[in-house]
Amino acid sequence: MSQLSVNHLLGIKYINKQDIDLIFETADHFKEVINRSIKKVPTLRDITIANIFFENSTRTRLSFELAEKRLSADVVNFSAGQSSVKKGETLIDTVNNILSMKVDMVVMRHPNPGAGIFLSKHVNASIINAGDGAHEHPTQALLDSYSIREKLGDVKGKNVVIVGDILHSRVALSNIFALRLQGANVKVCGPKTLIPKYIESLGVGVETNLVKALEWCHVANMLRVQNERMDISYFPSTREYTQQFGINKKLLDSINKDIIIMHPGPINRGVEITSDVADSDQSVILNQVENGVAIRMAVIYLLASKIK
Amino acid sequence: MNLFLKSATLIDASNTSLHGKKRDILIKNGKIEKIASRLEAVSGYKEILLDNLHVSKGWFDSGVCFGEPGFEERETIANGLHVAAASGFADILLNPNTAPKPDSSSHIVFLKERASGQSCNLHPMGTMTARAKGEHLAELFDMQNVGAKAFYDFKTPITNANLLKIALLYAQNFNGLVCSYPMDNHIKGKGLVNEGEVSTKLGLKGIPALAEELQIARDLYILEYTGGQLHIPTISTAGSVKLIAAAKKKGLNVSCSVALHHLCLTDAILEEFDTDFKVQPPLRTPRDVKALIKGLENGTIDLVTSDHTPIDIEEKRIEFDNAAFGSIALENSFGVLNKIFGKEKAISLLTKGRKRFNIAEPELKEGALACLALFNPEGELTYDVAHSASTSKNSLYKNMPMHGKVYGSINNGRLVLNP
Repeated sequence: MSQLSVNHLLGIKYINKQDIDLIFETADHFKEVINRSIKKVPTLRDITIANIFFENSTRTRLSFELAEKRLSADVVNFSAGQSSVKKGETLIDTVNNILSMKVDMVVMRHPNPGAGIFLSKHVNASIINAGDGAHEHPTQALLDSYSIREKLGDVKGKNVVIVGDILHSRVALSNIFALRLQGANVKVCGPKTLIPKYIESLGVGVETNLVKALEWCHVANMLRVQNERMDISYFPSTREYTQQFGINKKLLDSINKDIIIMHPGPINRGVEITSDVADSDQSVILNQVENGVAIRMAVIYLLASKIK
Repeated sequence: MNLFLKSATLIDASNTSLHGKKRDILIKNGKIEKIASRLEAVSGYKEILLDNLHVSKGWFDSGVCFGEPGFEERETIANGLHVAAASGFADILLNPNTAPKPDSSSHIVFLKERASGQSCNLHPMGTMTARAKGEHLAELFDMQNVGAKAFYDFKTPITNANLLKIALLYAQNFNGLVCSYPMDNHIKGKGLVNEGEVSTKLGLKGIPALAEELQIARDLYILEYTGGQLHIPTISTAGSVKLIAAAKKKGLNVSCSVALHHLCLTDAILEEFDTDFKVQPPLRTPRDVKALIKGLENGTIDLVTSDHTPIDIEEKRIEFDNAAFGSIALENSFGVLNKIFGKEKAISLLTKGRKRFNIAEPELKEGALACLALFNPEGELTYDVAHSASTSKNSLYKNMPMHGKVYGSINNGRLVLNP
């Protein structure tokens, strides 16, 4: 049986194209499973997984937990708000304490870039990065590519534009790595203040005009502005941001083709995307959520098979 | 202490009659008694016979941190000076990186007293502003009178341009040397590493070269207006070298240093988020490294500092964002410089700079106080931080090949040799 090239999923830049193909093939199977009347398989009955979230999360955490439970893993949840972290405990101590309760795998979200890599070097468990600061969010990028593949047949050769706050976005970075690895053409679009100066070194183009970006692309992935990560204002007002980088039905209809609209959530309706776009036939936002469970089942299953 | 150094090759470009020559040296009561082609062993003198022994004047470092007072768990003054002496250094300038910060004469006196009786001399710097808060000048004159050699709010930029103007004017009354850390904090923002391809890939907040160069350009404008003398510690970008070169050409009294690690490492090494490589200013690009080396070769950059900064493991074995900046480095100064520049230039760099800080120059001649570094410039050794004499082991030189080996030093009538 094929195996992943890695023992942890820390970021897309640490895996290869074969890994992505394997994850997608496995996810195809699990997507069929979660659409059965009995949505659960007994595969990981002897595996215990800790979901450790040092940052708020609703959908990612739920999605992981659901994926773990549908694989019949034992699940423990931990969030920093209720923990000893607030009392000054270090990350290594926190995680080692949890691991000493015989946990096999850790799904971690953390506000600091590289936290998953740091942890993987100091603790004895398989680590899945569920988002580390502005670094990576690999399962989100995988489910995004999987959704494109599902809709368009293949990711290779497709034009994808990522719109919004690129500077603070782990979703943007992981998507860029994943899309480039699969042969897609990628552009980023947003105010210049929210686009890293050296982004083109990752092999992507920069477009500051949303209309031109939409005319170019097959897929538009709309990101949320991450106000919580900003130290100063990168644009004068939400109103002005929306005027330039918000997508609405009128704009979408003016484009001479049917592009696919994606969003990793949570959506700020009326800011980066209006309701009539988010809820339109061109939107695959809810498919992304469903695919998220299948992708995470695949990742957990494949990493667990390396533990055994 | 009486010593007999056997077959030592002398490296001292300022003395053509001895430079590169193999000599025996007798040291009596801490003074060089005799230098000759061949001397007989004398009873009562400890004979030092080391493989390919080379000797130069004792070395000088213009920017070293220990931890005392306040951070003794990082490094005490006594152990720090022992590390320096074992690494060939006879004089070090101590950065005001303590708690409390040395902003009065009593602090300076304390530091000097704690360092007395050691082989390596400690020369304190005082802060430029009270408690290094960047608001009001500290008592610079009073500190200088008891031995402060320069004034520096350690790695904290002087954001108020008028305050730097005032400091540069005021210090002229007593020929004081003001240091200004080259960083514009607003441009830097929450940046941690060099802004570039690597920071983009790693999602780490970047510090653009602009942040450093803008501050240097500002400082040089102020210096041109005020006169006086300014030292800019640890420049790190190609643009900074250009700015300093232009200022020197104009005749401004400015000097600058570069940290050792900026000559041999780039931000590419951050890919694993290893906190030992988290330093400030951050590791830059290959283009910057090249420009900094060239700047040293053509004299635009005056000094290399080890930027030795011991940090205990509790502040390093954590997430990258939360880890402290800095690396120990005294033990690597010679090995790195010798590898990049060869022994002659390395020794020239390691013995340069005392005059700028009004520190007495040692001499390598009969009758002078014996202030010597002992080393072997040949051979390659991998640096093993586990064997470091430093209390803290945070080293970005870990497992790096070092060219040559330092045996130790002789200074203040003491011989310090590495095991």
